Amino acid sequence: MDSEDDFMSAVSSEDDILPDDSDNDDMSGAEDFDFDDEPDPDLGMEKSISHKRVAYDISFKVYQPGDIQKQQDDLINEVNMILDISKEEAAILLRYFRWNKERLIEDYMDRSRQVLEAAGLAQTTVGPPKLEVIPGFVCDICCEEGDGLQSFSIKCGHRYCVDCYRHYLSQKIKEEGEAARIQCPSDGCNLIIDARSLDLLVTPALRDRYHQLLNRTYVEDKETLKWCPAPDCQNAIECGVKKKDLDKVVPTVSCLCSHRFCFGCILNDHQPAPCDLVKRWLKKCADDSETANWISANTKECPKCNSTIEKNGGCNHMTCRKCKHEFCWMCMGLWSEHGTSWYSCNRFEERSGTEARDAQAKSRVSLERYLHYYNRYANHEQSARLDRDIYYKTERKMVQLQKESGMSWIEVQYLNSASQALQTCRQTLMWTYAFAFYLARNNQTEIFEDNQKDLEMAVEALSEMFEKPVTDLADPKLKVEIMDKTTYCNKRRIILLDDTAQNLADGRWTFNVELSGVLGGNNGGPSNKR
Amino acid sequence: MALCQNRLHEERKQWRKDHPFGFFARPQKNSQGVLDLKVWECGIPGKEKTIWEGGLFRMTITFPDEYPTKPPKCKFVPPLFHPNVYPSGTVCLSILNEEEAWKPAITVKQILLGVQDLLNDPNPDSPAQAEAYNLFKKDRAEYDRRVKRTVRENAAP
Repeated sequence: MDSEDDFMSAVSSEDDILPDDSDNDDMSGAEDFDFDDEPDPDLGMEKSISHKRVAYDISFKVYQPGDIQKQQDDLINEVNMILDISKEEAAILLRYFRWNKERLIEDYMDRSRQVLEAAGLAQTTVGPPKLEVIPGFVCDICCEEGDGLQSFSIKCGHRYCVDCYRHYLSQKIKEEGEAARIQCPSDGCNLIIDARSLDLLVTPALRDRYHQLLNRTYVEDKETLKWCPAPDCQNAIECGVKKKDLDKVVPTVSCLCSHRFCFGCILNDHQPAPCDLVKRWLKKCADDSETANWISANTKECPKCNSTIEKNGGCNHMTCRKCKHEFCWMCMGLWSEHGTSWYSCNRFEERSGTEARDAQAKSRVSLERYLHYYNRYANHEQSARLDRDIYYKTERKMVQLQKESGMSWIEVQYLNSASQALQTCRQTLMWTYAFAFYLARNNQTEIFEDNQKDLEMAVEALSEMFEKPVTDLADPKLKVEIMDKTTYCNKRRIILLDDTAQNLADGRWTFNVELSGVLGGNNGGPSNKR
Repeated sequence: MALCQNRLHEERKQWRKDHPFGFFARPQKNSQGVLDLKVWECGIPGKEKTIWEGGLFRMTITFPDEYPTKPPKCKFVPPLFHPNVYPSGTVCLSILNEEEAWKPAITVKQILLGVQDLLNDPNPDSPAQAEAYNLFKKDRAEYDRRVKRTVRENAAP
């Protein structure tokens, strides 16, 4: 979708690299499945300046490996010019100061000696690094000596033979993944080996790895940069959303590789639920869901003290081990009222039994509430997976369709859009259920649930159409229906996300758990209203 | 592997030429009676004018195949009462940790002197055994008594 040139030219300017596609408000699904609902980050920080901007938009930029390198080079060149030190030294200093150029220059001006020492740099300047043959030299690592033994040292003068140096560097780079802070091999010497010396010593493969690792520290050192977590993706994303804002915004970003993830927690896109709820939800699901299912299926609670009891044998005469309450497992009524009909309970209509069962039902509510949301969440997760399988089949379908109906490539792209829409919408729906689990009821939740229902119905309808056999898909009427439904789904999703994000930013949701990082506001403590 | 053997040969040569007073260090003989350069038996004397004075503590140094790229492992036999010695006897010291201060140029002599220094100068930031650490932090008198007992049990000949 983006050509290399597009990208490179865009980065140097302050603009974002994403194609400017979200300007068209009508989401005609056929052409823009990838970006149908994506933010238009050009619009910058101010929400008010654009009427098109939806509340869940955040601005971000994608950088490719070349750009990351260029940013570093620019900073290094700048410091190199201002401070009159070599580029290698500038790089080491910048890394030491975590790429905070201003602080580096300030500190360096004030007390260059201490700064150089702390960063692992020598104060003397010598020529470019070179291998030397020194008569009578003995390497302290391998204890080799002999004529023609090549040796090397950085500015500290601790000299070792080339083989040992290489061995040491490859160990550091390959095994330990170290790059920015590789020190001289001498005991107690903390001078850092600079990139130029390293380039002289190691093999090209290792050199590449070294520079890769250096790039990695650059991204990891900067709070506004994060790697795209998709496998084999080498891009980094810059986004200004701070950690403390995560209770107000869900910063979903989209990499050039089309992977969509949350900048706050690196998990896959989880709009509309905020990171903290997602974390809790995932933990709860990991801990609870199977256990809760089992409890629900296999146990009852003591009518008196609510202890959970599993009946693993024996008769219906139960005695609670905790409170010694005696009751009938079948009707949950008092055992004393059973009289002589001990082992065949036929007293279902009795009052005490009914009351006990009511109480039982009540104590199950919270469990069932969780299972309600969990099952729907899990269902969408699974359906998204199934839809993904269908997506792979779609491609085949599209080829088949082109052959059978004589449609052109562009005419069958609507299937692709539909498949993409299904994926994204299900992903959103999935998290709406996790979100809803933590919501305390108020007027906003009514609207939320309506939005959720609308989207869900549209998605299921589209999913059904999508599974039709190829012969049906060729029907122009169905094609129009699918296209319409795709557009509708995307629209509903935007409406839902916009509404939720707006309320989140304004603090209008009430949660039944404390959101971490919340300072006052409406998101008060536990208020289990359900 | 060759690097490891070469270096250990040289370490052995250097040690025989010159080593600090009171210490000993020699490669172990394996079951066939052949010298195994990769396992050394050593003895570290307690420093003069410290509570460790008069003791001689036995330590085994095991060199990995990757030595000197990777550090050797030092283990007191029997395990020693000391805040930075694990219950297994393994010594916890920054210069012996490849992620910390280990450098290929560190010699056996430096290691042994480093461990000797550690005896009377434990590092409370990386405790390795609860017993010695707790006493060192909370009950110095009892700690000193325990050290002196250890010294008596491992008296230098």
